[in-house]
Amino acid sequence: MDRYRRYFPAAAAILGVMLLWTTLFPVRETEFVLVTQFGRPLYAITEAGLHVKWFFQSATYFDRRLRIYNPRPSEFLTRDKKNLVIESFVAWRIEDPQRFIETVGDAVAAEMRLHDIVWSGLSAALGTHDLESLISTQLPAVRTGTMLDRLAELTDRAALVQYGIRVVDVRLKRLNLPEQNKQSVFARMRAERERIARQYRAEGEEQALRIRADADRQKEEILSAAYKEAEKIKGEGDAESTRVYSQAYSRNPRFYKLLRTLESYKKIFDDKTTAILSTDSELLKVFMRGESAP
Amino acid sequence: MNLLDLEKRHRHERDHGHDHDHDHAAHDPDHDHPHPHPHRHKPGEGFRPPVWRRRLGIGVAATWLLSGVYVVSADQQAVVTRFGRVVEPRVMPGIHLALPWPIDRVTRLKVRQLQRLMVGGDVSDGVLGRTQPLQSQFLSGDQNIIHMRVAVQYSVGVPADYLFRAADVPVAVGAVVESELTRRVAGRAVDAVLTTEKPAIQEEVRAAAQRLINQYRLGVLVASVNIESVAPPPEAADAFRDVASARADSARTVNEAQGYQNSVIPKARGEAQQMLEEGQAHKIRKVNEAQGDAARFVLVADEYARASEVNGRRLYVETMEQILPRIKKLIVDRSGNLDLTILRKGDPAATTQK
Repeated sequence: MDRYRRYFPAAAAILGVMLLWTTLFPVRETEFVLVTQFGRPLYAITEAGLHVKWFFQSATYFDRRLRIYNPRPSEFLTRDKKNLVIESFVAWRIEDPQRFIETVGDAVAAEMRLHDIVWSGLSAALGTHDLESLISTQLPAVRTGTMLDRLAELTDRAALVQYGIRVVDVRLKRLNLPEQNKQSVFARMRAERERIARQYRAEGEEQALRIRADADRQKEEILSAAYKEAEKIKGEGDAESTRVYSQAYSRNPRFYKLLRTLESYKKIFDDKTTAILSTDSELLKVFMRGESAP
Repeated sequence: MNLLDLEKRHRHERDHGHDHDHDHAAHDPDHDHPHPHPHRHKPGEGFRPPVWRRRLGIGVAATWLLSGVYVVSADQQAVVTRFGRVVEPRVMPGIHLALPWPIDRVTRLKVRQLQRLMVGGDVSDGVLGRTQPLQSQFLSGDQNIIHMRVAVQYSVGVPADYLFRAADVPVAVGAVVESELTRRVAGRAVDAVLTTEKPAIQEEVRAAAQRLINQYRLGVLVASVNIESVAPPPEAADAFRDVASARADSARTVNEAQGYQNSVIPKARGEAQQMLEEGQAHKIRKVNEAQGDAARFVLVADEYARASEVNGRRLYVETMEQILPRIKKLIVDRSGNLDLTILRKGDPAATTQK
């Protein structure tokens, strides 16, 4: 016995290291640890850092990080009986490792449970909403936010109590129409576009006609106003000339009458005129008799 | 290290007797329990001298302690965890000291580096110009299907959250952006999404995604959400193009009308001016003519008034002189009877009679 005594410190050291190794264990920020004793869960460690357990107890590690679960896209019916293909995602993490290991076990199983809860939740929620409240040209009319907040809350409540899972959020990742409806949607879109195109063209015509008519009106307005003004000016000229003439002629009306009559003769008689002149006439008296007229 | 080892061992073997005493005196208390010395009583074979051991011990300890020194370069930030627990959530660039392995652990992150992910297709789709219908189809508020591809750029905002909060940060960021994009597109008409509302959608999605990311504590800063492509589905693309050309047609028709307007009105204004000028000309001509005629008449009339008999006769005769040469004349004597039948026979008879 004595000759083995010198090995005691080494053995003690090895034992000490082993003891440390089995009793001390680190817990990372990404993990929960469930301490179990002979398979029976004792307590969960949610604080990261160095922790102690008895050497006969064992530690089970759980990933406590947020995970995104994408259920397969599936078709739902809205209240107004419209089909929608919805792709959602669930942001979840383990909240209560003890409950989680007792009821679910691993992430894959957890996501199957989540799928069921979320699917039925979404069916129920959509059954109370019209399509208009999911997609609408007025953004404030889209009420998916409140609908999903409520769904997330319900899902979280169910999942936490049943499976120790915290559902942080449920969101709609994608909205689409069922494949079999798409052809008719495309046809509708085409028809809509054609209508819009026609409307654009007609509106263009309308505006063009309006502009042309306006131009024509303005043209007439300008020309007639100018005619009015021009005629007025001409009239002024005529009036002035009449005044000038009358003023002048009234100085010697007899002479005017003579002059004007003689003037008119020049215009009245041309080479087609045949005049029958009497020898008694003033002009020919001298011609016939050789005497002076008076 | 092996060579050095051997050399040292030789040296110590040469003068071990001396050293042995020294070692006993200085070193024994230090090495009470941890290291048993099986060779101590057999000095001849493989005895390890204490000085060398002490130096090695100090060296190892120093190296171990110094391994706690670490450098964070300018584009990085670091997180220090002690037995898994975060003790330094954000270490800025510089040289720092942490406890050595396995106590502390330093994780460095390139916080400024932008990471990129795509929603509605792969990164390669943009390069190849292809679309994957099921990935890129979105539903607009007026129930139109449109194809979109969006690039998201993000960087690390809170290193500790980024490292430890989510199992797969890119997947989470992608899901968040996609859901917000879906919601914004579902709240707008297809024309708005295709044209005017693009920047608004980008900004709204970025802001809303950032809010959700903060709520999830992903430790990510969304730098940009950029709509790389948005297009109507190929099944209706020609109809959409026709709308664009209809818009162009409409603009062209309006332009033509404006052109007409621009040509007609100035021309009318010109014509109007012309009419006014003509009117003015008429007025001036009339007045001037009248004044001229009047002046002439007044002068002549005054002259006539002095000897009206003579002047009247003269004017009469002068006028007859002008008129009579042009016309046919029949001169009839007062006693003779005129046979008017000659009028029908025309000129020859007239001349005969004359």
